[in-house]
Parts: sequence; structure tokens; C-alpha cells
Amino acid sequence: MSKLRLPLFITRHVVIALLIGGFAGIGFVLFLTEFDHLTSTETFCTTCHSMELVAEPYRQSSHYKPASGVQASCGDCHVSEGVFAATWDHFVGSKDLFNQIFGPDYDDPVINALHLPDAAFAARDWFKQRDSATCKRCHVKEAIFGTRPDTVLIHTEDAKDKTCIECHYNLVHRVVPDKAVFKRDKWNRMIEEEFGLSPGEADKLLGGG
Amino acid sequence: MSTEQSLGGTGHWRLYALLFLFVLIPPAAAEKVKLDPSNWGLEEGKACVSCHKKSSAALTHEWENSAHANAGVNCLDCHLADQVDNDAIEHEGAIIATIVSPKDCGRCHTKEFKETEGSVHAKAVSVVKNRLPALADDLSGKEMVAAGCAQCHGSIVEVRGDGTLTPETWPNSGIGRINPDGSLGSCSACHGRHSFSKAQARDPSACTWCHTGPDSPDDEVYASSKHGMLYEANRSKMNLQSDQWVLGKDYSAAPTCVTCHMGTTPGVKGSHDVGMRDAWSLNRPVSERQYLVIFEDGDRRELPESQPAPRRGSELVKLDGTMGKVKAVASPKRRRQIMNKVCLECHGKNFVNSYMKQFDNLVKLYNEKFGKPAEAIMAALYEKQLLTPAPFDEPIEFSFWRLWHDEGTAARHGAAMMSPNYASWEGMHRVAQNFYGEFLPQLRQLAGEAVANELIETHLTSLDQNSWLNNPAKPNPTLGYGIGKASHE
Repeated sequence: MSKLRLPLFITRHVVIALLIGGFAGIGFVLFLTEFDHLTSTETFCTTCHSMELVAEPYRQSSHYKPASGVQASCGDCHVSEGVFAATWDHFVGSKDLFNQIFGPDYDDPVINALHLPDAAFAARDWFKQRDSATCKRCHVKEAIFGTRPDTVLIHTEDAKDKTCIECHYNLVHRVVPDKAVFKRDKWNRMIEEEFGLSPGEADKLLGGG
Repeated sequence: MSTEQSLGGTGHWRLYALLFLFVLIPPAAAEKVKLDPSNWGLEEGKACVSCHKKSSAALTHEWENSAHANAGVNCLDCHLADQVDNDAIEHEGAIIATIVSPKDCGRCHTKEFKETEGSVHAKAVSVVKNRLPALADDLSGKEMVAAGCAQCHGSIVEVRGDGTLTPETWPNSGIGRINPDGSLGSCSACHGRHSFSKAQARDPSACTWCHTGPDSPDDEVYASSKHGMLYEANRSKMNLQSDQWVLGKDYSAAPTCVTCHMGTTPGVKGSHDVGMRDAWSLNRPVSERQYLVIFEDGDRRELPESQPAPRRGSELVKLDGTMGKVKAVASPKRRRQIMNKVCLECHGKNFVNSYMKQFDNLVKLYNEKFGKPAEAIMAALYEKQLLTPAPFDEPIEFSFWRLWHDEGTAARHGAAMMSPNYASWEGMHRVAQNFYGEFLPQLRQLAGEAVANELIETHLTSLDQNSWLNNPAKPNPTLGYGIGKASHE
């Protein structure tokens, strides 16, 4: 019966360092988990007024008011699953915080609405690149029975090779047309009319913002 | 040369050739699409059906049984849009538009598009535009315009900056709809989506959808006419499904709206310009015979006969306000001749001419006895400032409006399409009830005895037709006068 022998370089100090490092690592991951969790909530996101503006239509949507009671919060859709991916998303997302502070005045409803299409296009691309991963946290294609008998067939046959976002956009936030048919000029005129601005003012705000 | 001679030598080759031609080119009701089939059947449009069979099965089923499906015309052939189109949307990877405008249909149905484009139907918005502030805004509101007026006349479709169509202007199948691509009208006003069945559009119900009710009781008029009676009884013999639909060849049991107003009859070309054969304007306070002016660019307008006939090549204002060069003018007489030709397929010349005389006489009677006097009295009341300029804030304004717009129209349409009941009881009798029982008493109340009497004398009792008002002592037992007295038995 031989005695279990540790390699020689595992000294007492090494053991202590490993333990401290280990705990610190666990602590850090736990911190990130909590951090990602906290920074994914609606309460956190809407601490910026600009996000309050995009949250308004969300609160009227079926993702906020579902019949089932399963409510999706900001991060459920916009932050990836898994602590590292989530942290990365938050890291990348910090540029929004930078822009919020140093960029255009997104808290102004007009500026916000003028920039909204670009945000929407970026978000749609993000969903598409990830194969709508965050949708699939809750939704399972094969289980979309819908209210009509053929809904499940549409999803399993016709939408077999499609990812959620390709069909299901404009569900939650203000309607923005697809990039392929978006007309900046028409959009600006609409915003001007909505906020009682004179024609051409939106272009100036967008350019100068 | 020698060939021709030798052919000539074999006999009546010209006659054979002519006969052959007639066999080859039958006079079709709706023109066959001349475009090469390679122009439709878009590859990307073939997949739509798989999903739509599930998501909107009934609609898809309608299309599947249509001539379109049979010819290989798929969803995308009609709904395809260009990226730059205002109403273009992305849908499952394709760029499409919800609205299929006449311009879209006209990609294949060129002849029909051109015919409808200049027709009164296509102008259904502009003809009522200046009435809308009074009728739509004041008397009701824009909610009614969306649900009422615009559903027949057509909406001015509004596309928001986000590509969506406003619920105030869409859905809409009004026949004069102003589409996002600028084209006028809506083929689906008569040709129901998505079957686009010939039989359905030939059925009078295609028209009576809008041509019904007090101001345009054509559904009621037709139903209570001999023509409508025969149609109801012989529906199965109408051959509505037939590819071509020529009166006297493909059907004969009864004429429908289409038969007289746009159908093909030997010697009369069918046309989607529905008002072409209308010699009279029947929906005005006073009817007038009218020219049809055809412009170089194919646009058309009507012009009252009281105005000088425009010369060919001269400039004339079009209905949209722009100037157009006159290409041709059809006189009211010519328009009537064409209508008569349709009648002659079933009726004798004398029958037709005398019938038209009865119709014309009733229109003139309405004009002289009621329309003109009432119009003149109204003008005088406005001039004397006994009425405010705003319409519909005084009772007599409603009476006058009803007199020509509802009751007078019913009478004139009744006579035009042989409904005795509508010519008389629903028409002229109501006109008279209104005129003598409401309009004139309202006039007396408004203007006072002296002014009213003066107006009545000038515009009414000086005329033969209204001179009976001068004889209040002339008895008649209709309402009980003298009943029981021997002298009036």
C-alpha cells in the first residue's frame, strides 16, 4: 500500500495560493453571474431615460403582458445565455453607456426616435448571428402550437431553415421596417410630423446629434 | 402576285380568309393577356403557397381555383414590389406590397388598365372631393369616411414613414382609390380577391355592392326591372363562367349591369370604361346630356352639352386640374347610339327608340318641373342671404339635397333602367312629396309670404307643369274631397 504523494512543487504556499485563487475565481464568477443578472433587469436598463422610451412599447407587448405570465425582461432577449457570453455582451454593450453619456441626447424622444431604426437593425443582426438563441430560451419551434391547427406545421415545415427573427420582428418595440425597404427620408418626415417639427429639422438633428 | 391570282382562281379565297379570321379571333369580352407567359410565374413566388395554405387557407384556396393559378400566376407576380416603393415591405425574405394596384394588374391586363384609368370609376374620389368637407366632415366625421364614403369611392392610401398603411385609409377596395404608386382605382372593387372570377364580376352583385341605397338605388332598380326579373329566373342560363361573353352568342337570357354598361355585343366593343355609354348625367341637381372627351394620353372627362364641344387638338382642363390635348370627342348622341346597339340585340328599333324617348322625357320632366326651379330658388335664397353659405345648417338645404341627390336620382335611374316603381313611387312621387310638401313650405317660412310668392311665381307657377298650383279650387276625390256628395261621384 503506497502512500499518496503530492508532487514536490506543491508546497504549502502553493496550496494556500491555489485555495485563495480558487475561491477568488469562484467569487468572481459568482460576482459576474450576479452582475449579469442585475444588469439584465428592466429596472437597471431603464435607469437611463433613453431606455425608458424604448420600454414604453415593450410594456404594451405580449412579451410584457403574456397570457401565460411568463414575462421576458430586457436581458432575457438582449443578453446571451451563460456567464461568459453574458459578460461579453455587457462588455460590448458598454459602448451604449459611453454613447449615452458622451453621444447624442438619446433621452430626447425626437433624437431617440431618429436613431431607433439603426438600433433596431443592429439588434436584428445580433439576433440573426446568434440564430435567435435568446428566443429559444423560452420558445421551442416544435412546441409552437398557436391558436390554429396549422401553426405547428408552419414552424416545423415552412420555417424549418429559418431563424425566429427573420419572420418575427417588430414584436416588442416601435415598428421599424426591414433594412431592405427602410427609407430614412420618409422616417424623418414621420418623426417631424409626430413631434410637430418643421420639415428638414429631423435631418439637422440627426446630422448635428 | 401569281400566288394571289392562283388563289383567286380557286374561288372565294377572301371570303374563306375572312371566315377563318372570325373563327380565329372571336370577339372576347375581356381581352386575353397578350404578354408572353415567361413574364410571370416568378420562381421565388412558388413557395409562398406552402405556408399560406396553412396560415390563410381560405384565401389560398380561392387562388388555387382561380384562372390565375391555372395560368401559373403566383402570389409574387402580383404582390412583388420594388425596394423604393413607398409601401414596400419585407415579408419572409421577399420584398412585396400588400396593395396590388391597377398599375400592378396592368402589367398583364394592359387594355383593362387603360380603360379603367380614365373612367369615371377611377375618378370616384375627385368627383366628390369638394363635397367631402360638408358631407363627411360636418355631417359626420373622418371615422365615417373610412368606414363609409371611402369604401366605395376609394381612400387616398396613406403610407406612414415606417412603411405601414394607416387604418384610416386601409383596408380599402374603393373603386377610385388613390394608390401609393399614384395609380387610380382598385380592380378588387369588382373582382373579388383572390379568385378574380369572371362569373363573380359579371354578376350584378359586383356592382350593387356600391350602387345601392338612396343616392344610387341601382340594385333596387335592376331587381325591380324586367331585366332583373329575367336574370333572377334564368341565372343558370347566363353562362357566367364562359371564357368570352358576347350577348346573343354566349348568353341571351337577361342583360346584367355589365351587358349594357361595358359588355361586348356584336358591333359594340366591350370596355372597362363603365360610363362610356352614358348620354346623360343623372346624378346632378339638373341633368344634362354630356360629351365624353378623350385626351391624347388616354385620360377622359365628361363635358355638359351646354358647353361648346371641344375641338380635336385643342387644350382642355382635365379632372385632375392639368391641361390635356383633346384627341376625340364622343357626342351624347354617339354615346346613346352605342347603348342602343346593345338594346337592339333583343329589341326592335322602334321599341328601343320609344323606350329611350320615355326615359329622356322623364329626365326632362324632372329637370323642368323640379330640378331647375328648386335649384333657382336655392340660388336666390343664398343671394338674398336668407340662407347662410354653409350647407346643411338649415332644413331647406336638406330638402333640396334629398330632392336631387336621393329622390331625383332614384326617379331618373328608375326610368333609365326600366323600374316603374323606382321611376314613380320611390322616385318622382317622393320628389313631389318633398317639393310641394317640404321644400315650398320651408321656403315660405324662411323667406316670408311676399318673397316666397315672388320666387314661386317666377320659377314655378309661370311654368305649365306647375300651373296647377294656381287652381286651388279644382277638386279631386283622391284625398276625400266631396266624398258622398252627388256632384263629385
